[in-house]
Amino acid sequence: MSDPLVGVVLLGVLFALLASGVWIALALAGVAAVALVFFSNAPLGLVLATTFWGHSHSWSLAALPLFILMGEILLRSRLSRDMFTGLAPWLGGLPGRLLHVNILGCAIFAAVSGSSAATAATIGKMSIPELKSRGYPESLILGTLAGSATLGLLIPPSIILIVYGVATEQSIARLFVAGLLPGAMLVTLFAAYVAARAWLDPDLIPRADIRMSFRQRVWASRGLVPVALLIVGVIGAIYTGIASPTDAAALGVLLSILLAVLSGSFSLSDFLDALLSAARTSCMIAFILLGAAFLAVAMGFTGLPRNLASWIAEMGLSPYVLLVVLTLFFIVLGLFLDGISVVVLTTSIIMPMVLAVGIDPIWFGIYLVLVVEMSQITPPVGFNLFVIQGLTGIDILRIARAALPFFFLLLLAVLLITVFPGIVTYLPSVMSR
Amino acid sequence: GGTVALADTWDMPTPYGDATFHTQNIVQFAQDIAEATDGGLDIIVHSAGSLFPHAEIKNTVRSGQVPIGEFFLSRLVNEDAAYGLDSQPFLATSYDDAARLWAAQEPVITELLAEQGLMPLFSVAWPAQGLYTNGEIATVADLSGLRFRAYNAALEEFAALAGAAPVQVEAPDIPQAFATGQVEAMITSPSTGANSTAWDFVTHYAPINAWVPKNIVVVNERAFRRLPSDVQDAVLAAAEAAETRGWEMSKAETDAQTAVLAENGMVIYEPSAELTAGLQEIGAQMLENWRAGASEPALAILQAYQQ
Amino acid sequence: MAALISAQVLLNFATRVFGLPLPSTIPSYADFSGFMLAAATFLAMPYTLRSGGHIRVSLVTARLPVRVQFWLELVVLALSAAFVGYACWYCSALVLESRHFNDVSNGIIPIPLWIPQSVMSLGMILLWVSLIDSLVQTFDRGAPVIQHAEEV
Ligand code: NA
Ligand code: NA
Repeated sequence: MSDPLVGVVLLGVLFALLASGVWIALALAGVAAVALVFFSNAPLGLVLATTFWGHSHSWSLAALPLFILMGEILLRSRLSRDMFTGLAPWLGGLPGRLLHVNILGCAIFAAVSGSSAATAATIGKMSIPELKSRGYPESLILGTLAGSATLGLLIPPSIILIVYGVATEQSIARLFVAGLLPGAMLVTLFAAYVAARAWLDPDLIPRADIRMSFRQRVWASRGLVPVALLIVGVIGAIYTGIASPTDAAALGVLLSILLAVLSGSFSLSDFLDALLSAARTSCMIAFILLGAAFLAVAMGFTGLPRNLASWIAEMGLSPYVLLVVLTLFFIVLGLFLDGISVVVLTTSIIMPMVLAVGIDPIWFGIYLVLVVEMSQITPPVGFNLFVIQGLTGIDILRIARAALPFFFLLLLAVLLITVFPGIVTYLPSVMSR
Repeated sequence: GGTVALADTWDMPTPYGDATFHTQNIVQFAQDIAEATDGGLDIIVHSAGSLFPHAEIKNTVRSGQVPIGEFFLSRLVNEDAAYGLDSQPFLATSYDDAARLWAAQEPVITELLAEQGLMPLFSVAWPAQGLYTNGEIATVADLSGLRFRAYNAALEEFAALAGAAPVQVEAPDIPQAFATGQVEAMITSPSTGANSTAWDFVTHYAPINAWVPKNIVVVNERAFRRLPSDVQDAVLAAAEAAETRGWEMSKAETDAQTAVLAENGMVIYEPSAELTAGLQEIGAQMLENWRAGASEPALAILQAYQQ
Repeated sequence: MAALISAQVLLNFATRVFGLPLPSTIPSYADFSGFMLAAATFLAMPYTLRSGGHIRVSLVTARLPVRVQFWLELVVLALSAAFVGYACWYCSALVLESRHFNDVSNGIIPIPLWIPQSVMSLGMILLWVSLIDSLVQTFDRGAPVIQHAEEV
């Protein structure tokens, strides 16, 4: 069977499984099984067991459940409500008001966590109920969250940049530094979009409750102190060398328990509730990650992504045309595979052609992160969508529609760094002594 | 030429990226076989752990999920001490020593791997491991009190004997660990140093040649026996060539990457006689301790090596 | 069950917190926390399934007639149970293989791999039992029993 036909058959199987209501993790594993049995000579059962085992105990994943637990604890204490009450008067004058908390919250959390799923789960757990109860429109709540949580991948630390750096032997430190300006640019783009929507349609965003004097605002801000302490504690621990970025998650849980208990609004049963809820969310995400890992292995055996990449390589394109074609390629693969798998499966073929046309590998790493960020919010396989469905029960297709404008903003960011590569390369070049 | 009927395709997982000389050597190995067999055996190299994580590669070859794979040999040290001799500090500290050690190791390891249905094809050394610090280290006493990166039992013991504090840091966390002072010294190859742009976080490098570890390529024995005998011969011939070529690449890599460290402003200094003597002493002490717990096969290797 | 999961998550958490101030005092703690993570993930599988935690696409099925929805749910449960049963078989085979060859982790402390792998196997078996149980209950009741996650 020819590659395109195999691709169509597998897509058909995937859509049939998903549409009939098979759990997403099992649907991914199921289509991988079909691929392995019919289009490779690898033994299905053994590969399945090895992949489930090999991907379930990785060190880089260990932080995920802890960050989710931190979000659950903050939600169940008064802390998250206090934070919104404290921020509300300051953001009152800004078009889009508290929606910017989603964006900035994700950006700050992204400096602690390397994954976009953890970012979406932790921030979303607190912000979705708060914003909904204040009457913000659902599509913007879900869209800003899904879009901004992808910052977890771009703002250091970042799992995907580590994977790319290791696979291509680029300096991880330089890649991290290179992500800073594009990260700030994305935050600006997202905030500008929200502000523009609010400005064009003044009835979209609920009005500020009361006008406050400067003093009143400062007094209302006292609710921000505990969360500020938490953020300073966790980020401080990382950047003073007390904790590795992965350890910071455990510290975050510890500090949030401490603050929740001190705030006097947190009981043992709240803690147990938080624990169970965190176990459920992490289990859901981990199971989908295992299904996605199994699908990626199956794709490795069938060779589909590799052949597609080789086909592009043989076209001998000029740099700009190559980037256009690659962007399309990554968007299409990113619909069905998780972003990290796309990078891992194709770098062997992609990197030589990228280097051959003279594209800077550090720049390309950041470009890859942006396209992988897009894949996080496109259905049917987009991890931010899964996390938000897990938090809200809203179907992923509806969340995907809400996230669509942010997909286009990410595309705009790709365009901007292509036209102005200095956004990426300036800081790493300053770093060289 | 046209496609040969009944051509075999072998998927080959490897742990390191395409820029690593080990991977480049293996890609050449695969090409050699494809040419020698006129397309009769096509090996597809899945680099950088893209098929299976490093920790799973050996067992996936064992169970026949893939017929062939590469891994870092001393990863298996917990299975038998025989696998770990090339990572024993200050036992074999030059390419000549390392080649002699591999000659002593090969028959024993071949036997051990055969128990798991595996057959070694070839093994290639990494560049010797050097010392990365901020500031020059003149004697072992200078290491005392430094926070030292340790990722296995041998390094932890080494740090303890040198009076340093062992700290576990996962490889991706290294730059940040140095930047924040969580770690102040590490031992690794000039390749790893250059590839992780060590000059961003340390100033001095000493080629102390602490040990010369190796990667190994193994096949599943049943899968190998299933090949037509002329293809088997082609695989063995290509493996022999790959081993010779790989060691030459490794030597060239040592010089090239050390030069890269220097070009980027790192101070490269030869270890003083005092430092070398002190390190050798620690090595001897460790070997004594090692002997007490070593397996029969491991002791046999040591005896053959020291003759 | 719930207590067991909580204990797992707590243990995972404790391993990391106590490793925090003195990273060198707990050797192989990256291995330990990885194994705890795997244990917590797999043991939470059945609870997550029954409480509607595992997500799926419901936009299509929700538009079908109730009768069709019921039969489709039975097919989906049967297919899932068959697949998970198959996975259980091979996860258990992996445990036996690790035991046969005495596979150990490669960290400072060699941990026999069959121990954490059996926890994975147990979790998959519990998920399988839970799927079969849901299948039987759905059939008896004539309507889906697996909770639908509430929109909040
Ligand atoms: Na991040
Ligand atoms: Na996607």
